[in-house]
Amino acid sequence: MKLIASCKINKTGVYLNSQLISRNDLSESNWITELYYDSNKEYPKFHKMDNLAKLAFLGFLFLEKKININNYKDDEISLIFSNASSSKTNDLKYINTYTNKGNPSPSLFVYTLPNILTGELAILNKWYGENIFFIQQKFDPKFYIEQIKFYFSKGAKAILAGWVESNDKNEECFLFFIEKKEGKLTIEKLNKLYQNE
Amino acid sequence: MNNLRENLKEQIIEQLNLEDIKPEDITNEGDLFGDNGLGLDSIDALEFIVLLESKYNIKISDPQEGKKIFKSIDTLASYIEKNK
Repeated sequence: MKLIASCKINKTGVYLNSQLISRNDLSESNWITELYYDSNKEYPKFHKMDNLAKLAFLGFLFLEKKININNYKDDEISLIFSNASSSKTNDLKYINTYTNKGNPSPSLFVYTLPNILTGELAILNKWYGENIFFIQQKFDPKFYIEQIKFYFSKGAKAILAGWVESNDKNEECFLFFIEKKEGKLTIEKLNKLYQNE
Repeated sequence: MNNLRENLKEQIIEQLNLEDIKPEDITNEGDLFGDNGLGLDSIDALEFIVLLESKYNIKISDPQEGKKIFKSIDTLASYIEKNK
């Protein structure tokens, strides 16, 4: 398996293959929206997304500059994602609509699963490949490598994988793109990329 | 009447949790649904139905009506003015 590119986004900026490529002077409150406007991409649906989907969308926009998804048919790219907090941030907003505001919000309800972000990426790219979302305590590079091997054994030609987390203390996105080619991706390498080292 | 349109913009932003959007980003005549507008979809149409009931006490009996009513701020405001 060959690592083609990685992208890390957090409040300090955007890192493509561990290099800072975008601003690191983002505001405390709406840094995710600031990154969207900086991207000059017009995608009205962005404003409806929860922060998990927004982060994954932005991560893909940056990662896309370093990969060639046109090399693949629409069902040859699999998506493997995980995080620790599931969709908790949005779940709490949804609960607030029916406990304090009187009506459960349909537009928040649709984001009360973390794997909606894989659906958003699939819709954006018109992909029909396999996708899966795991809940884990922390980013686990060994687990990703096992899963990537499994999906390659089942026919995937490339994999977009990622850790996208949103909780009251931390919001971050780490995406990486792997092709089924000669190459070695180690646990150490993947962990270093995640740590931005 | 313009007050109604401005109120609607604020209510839509709140109801649909469009935290990044400001009222001035929404025009009176522009499409609310589809990729050329605010990118709203059928789920958001449900939000509009809830909004009309809760804020204006208007019930939409025929769901097919929704497409025309929810097209823009102007069409939504006209419907409210006629039915409240």
